[in-house]
Amino acid sequence: MKDTVMDCNAVFPDRITACSAAGRLTARLLRPAWQADAPPLVVLHGISRNAGTLARLFAPEAERTGRTIIVPHFPEQTWPNFQRPSKAARPDQALLALLDKIAADIPGVSGPVDIFGHSGGAQLAHRLAMLYPHRVAELHLVAAGWYCLPDETMRYPYGLAPGKDMASAKWARRKRAALRDFLHLPTSVYVGTQDVTRDAALRKLRALDAKQGAHRHARARTYVKALNAAARAAGLPARARLIEMPDCDHDVVRAITQNDLATRVLDARPSGISTSSRTIPQIQGDPT
Amino acid sequence: MTLSDILEQAKWTFSTRRVDRTRVAATDTDFATARPGDLILAHVDRIGQHRRVQLPSGRPSLIFPGDAVVMACGARYAPDQFEGLAEIDPAGADLLAGGGCIGRMVARNSQIRPATRLVPAARLLDAAGRTVNLADFALPPRHSAPRPPVIGVLGTAMNSGKTLATAQLVLGLRRAGFRVGAIKATGTGAFGDYNEYSDSGAHYVGDFTDAGMVTTYLEPLDRIKTATGTLLAEAGHRGCDLVVMEVADGVLQRETAGLIGDAWFKQLVSGLVFACGDAVAAMGGVAHLAGLGLVPDALTGMISCSPMASHEARVATGLPVLTKEDLSDPAEATGFALRAGLGRKEAA
Repeated sequence: MKDTVMDCNAVFPDRITACSAAGRLTARLLRPAWQADAPPLVVLHGISRNAGTLARLFAPEAERTGRTIIVPHFPEQTWPNFQRPSKAARPDQALLALLDKIAADIPGVSGPVDIFGHSGGAQLAHRLAMLYPHRVAELHLVAAGWYCLPDETMRYPYGLAPGKDMASAKWARRKRAALRDFLHLPTSVYVGTQDVTRDAALRKLRALDAKQGAHRHARARTYVKALNAAARAAGLPARARLIEMPDCDHDVVRAITQNDLATRVLDARPSGISTSSRTIPQIQGDPT
Repeated sequence: MTLSDILEQAKWTFSTRRVDRTRVAATDTDFATARPGDLILAHVDRIGQHRRVQLPSGRPSLIFPGDAVVMACGARYAPDQFEGLAEIDPAGADLLAGGGCIGRMVARNSQIRPATRLVPAARLLDAAGRTVNLADFALPPRHSAPRPPVIGVLGTAMNSGKTLATAQLVLGLRRAGFRVGAIKATGTGAFGDYNEYSDSGAHYVGDFTDAGMVTTYLEPLDRIKTATGTLLAEAGHRGCDLVVMEVADGVLQRETAGLIGDAWFKQLVSGLVFACGDAVAAMGGVAHLAGLGLVPDALTGMISCSPMASHEARVATGLPVLTKEDLSDPAEATGFALRAGLGRKEAA
């Protein structure tokens, strides 16, 4: 996975660490000077684990929109797997504990959150939302390598039909239990029109290619269609949309710096940029 | 030694935890008219099955012959220990439960020792000469409090795994982000279950003693239903999103059978977990519940320790068998909350 800007470890004074049965997880916390009446945004990195870069690129958006932005970091050493809750790793539990810690520590930052995930982070984001739709307000998925489709004709983990083993049957059952609530979520799926490379990081299986497409661009289209079809089948409004980024490949930094991805994500929620919703902190004794 | 001195030095048991001790102003020895819930001061005569009593602080206390103990008069239904009645013989009574239940033992499991014997000393009265009773200290009714959804936990018998299931589901729901109440609707007052619920992070914990009863055995069904409603309203008042409610003993036990066979119960529960020890018990329990119009969402309990027994039960009932690890997993627990209606509100 490519990044045109190196992770610079810029100074972000607020870091928060939460412990859970799944392990420790630390996040950068971007807290704007003013607080909009909108949920926090969680930004999940992909397998390049570029949390510092993402935090730096999203920082101006936190200030512009008054949104608290939370950027967790899953280090390679302690989180070799983080894209999918499984027996091997439970990033979902670590994230829940992190959100609980933030809600406990910071007044006004509680309730469901918006989630942005790029690549492997988008994999985690949509799986987290499938398990805990009550903790998510909106989803912004950018170029996941593959998806868990809301489709009971495909075996887990690619769909929701029980797999061959007990573990996959259990995970599929859990996601089916939350499916209706998950389908309610407004979901934006972003992908570059040039994200068509079958690079080394892309999972390549004949069945996956056949069902979801040969590359990330095709798989994003498949996913949006599947989400909306499942919603309609459940009698719900179709709330998934595909947003294609012209001339953009899989580089998230380029998507943010050249295609205004971060701005588009934050502006997807109108209340986040409404000046009328601003709460300007006042200095005690200020005559205003 | 004055009454005040004796009461101050006595070991007040867990079942008296809500009692305002300053209300005690006098005593009598009219044990023949003692009612369930009346407070009794007794002295330990001979140590038997119970070597300890449970204190309101949540710790057990060793007891020795001669110790003064304050308990509530009550019955007991515990197939693994005793059956007892809320009767006080002035010549000698039985410690029916370490949580603080004094009465007359009428049946005993052959594998346990005889009950610890007690010599009743006094019945406690208030300044007006009325008996001091646990019901005087029950939670107030909260008619306007919201009633949170309820996930019921039932089982085949005592020690089938209900309390562990209740506590682990509380833990899983809490990890998923819900404020969870844990309630024990029936049984005999003791701190074991209460503490286990609390340790799992329940936002509110309550049992029938909080609603004024030392035990629900032989209590009228309407009183148990009212008490359960009081506890649920308290959980709602404390801000719980939902409640996990254990119903003691097996589905054939008198009060449990009455409660779950009542249409009120079917309306009350949004989810159901059934704890059992083997596949035959699972099949029989599920069939029995089906006859009452109740369908468990999952099986759990001792059966879940055995993959083979779990497989048999899954095949026989079509229900998943959840281990304690499953129940405490927020990914699993969330399904119970969503089925109870705590998910996204659908547009009208």
